[in-house]
Amino acid sequence: MGFHHLDQYAHSAGPLTRTPPAARVLATVLLAVGAALLPLGAWLQMVVLGGLVLALARIGHVPLATLLARSAPPLLLLALASAAVLVLAPGQVIARVGPLAVTDAGLERVGSALGRGTPAILAGVLLISTTRFPDLVEGLRELRLPLVVTAALGLAYRFLYLLADELTQLQRAAASRNARAGAVPRRRLLAGITASALVRSLARSERVHRAMLARGFTGELLSLHRQPLDREAWRNLGILGVLVALVVLSARVG
Amino acid sequence: MLAHIPDGFLSAPVLLGTALTSAGALAVAARRSRAALAERQVPLLGAITAFVFAAQMFNFPIAAGSSAHLLGGVLVAALAGPSVAMLVIFSVVLVQALLFQDGGIAALGANTLNLAVLGAGGGWLAYRWLLALLGARFRVAAVTVAAFLSALLTGLGVALELGFSQVVPARTALLVVGGAHLLVGIGEAALTGAILALVWRARPELAAAQPVPGPAVRAWTLGLTATSLLLALAAGSLASRRPDVLEAAAFRFGLRERALHAAPFAGYETVLGWPWLVALAGVAAVFLCGWLLLRALARR
Repeated sequence: MGFHHLDQYAHSAGPLTRTPPAARVLATVLLAVGAALLPLGAWLQMVVLGGLVLALARIGHVPLATLLARSAPPLLLLALASAAVLVLAPGQVIARVGPLAVTDAGLERVGSALGRGTPAILAGVLLISTTRFPDLVEGLRELRLPLVVTAALGLAYRFLYLLADELTQLQRAAASRNARAGAVPRRRLLAGITASALVRSLARSERVHRAMLARGFTGELLSLHRQPLDREAWRNLGILGVLVALVVLSARVG
Repeated sequence: MLAHIPDGFLSAPVLLGTALTSAGALAVAARRSRAALAERQVPLLGAITAFVFAAQMFNFPIAAGSSAHLLGGVLVAALAGPSVAMLVIFSVVLVQALLFQDGGIAALGANTLNLAVLGAGGGWLAYRWLLALLGARFRVAAVTVAAFLSALLTGLGVALELGFSQVVPARTALLVVGGAHLLVGIGEAALTGAILALVWRARPELAAAQPVPGPAVRAWTLGLTATSLLLALAAGSLASRRPDVLEAAAFRFGLRERALHAAPFAGYETVLGWPWLVALAGVAAVFLCGWLLLRALARR
């Protein structure tokens, strides 16, 4: 098992998948930060940044329908998270929904949150659609993230699905014994299942450590697939950086 | 509007400020964990990260038809220490942002600050303080209350960031997000306490491996906490509402209008009223600063 249902375009040959993972991570961060720096109501620039991500998706051979379908749940979450701002931001009332008053400032803030969030979400989905998780961790290692973090991520990837399976099995076993339990026993059960999963995880980590020692582990995690940032990657990142900076400046100055 | 802030909400200064603060805190945590982590703990780190990630997939019901998931900062800190906990929670937040767009990529600094630095780091400080007050026999009670406080700290961070970004007024953000995190905190406390009670019963060596504050530290903590609380309550009730000399001069020469930024508790008032709340917050902040300073000096 793995995140293969997400990274199904990681193996397609193309300029995007040839780019080192570290450059793909940096490009995603550039686009997300660029979108976040846009001022409220910079609608045109928000559309331009979204279009830039869609153009990159085309280069990466990721179908538009897939990109949009995968972006829909986080976009929905973003819309739900920002909905309250419609009525909480003080401003001139422009509509009433029952007892709630929608304000112009609220509408502008929600629109801007969606407009700034959409390119970032699209960029994130594009990154994960074209990058295998181990490559992503390798990219983060190239970007000099603390070794503890990349080691934790690399090992967590190996443990995660085992743990998820174990949690599902524990839950299924518990459900078969407590089919119609009330809310309080259910909560107690949830705590018991989670604690049991944690104890098993700790025991597994000790077994894995012994197995690693038996294979010559000396405390350092080595990689056989290093993909450092090359000159071409830096050039492409530079071009993208200039484009994003121009979009942000046009919104800030204009 | 819960713990993971998506992209699109926060202003540029807040994004930059939270990113720098988080990066600084993580750098310290990485340096300290490298020194503290034995090589046998590398797989342990992976197992705990996977556990927190998986545990966050399970939601528990809170109120009004809503649900929340375990934040896990205090849980990990009580098992593996604050530095490791901060890095584990950061790893989880990073994967959630990159893989599942749960929390923004540009807002990663803010989410790290709320969940890893305030949630795990702040929660651990609360745990150690409560452990010193209550003693090792009440370890589970200490961790339960600390988990509740860590959820509140996370909520406070989210509310202040939204307020400073002018998404909604700070008062509204504190009431809405703080209120939601009160409920989240109850679930977090119950779940953290119950899980750790079971884990420590199954693996008592994990609890025994942690240093416990000695009698002298306990006595000092108890005395200082009681004195601070009494002072805070007395100061809150007896404080004069009239401006002090410096403030009066600032009024007279119109300096207040030229201030670059308002303090969070300007005029010793909170958005919720209650002057003793300001006094308590002030005492807690000074207590924390003093404690951290003493720890830093003691290490030299």
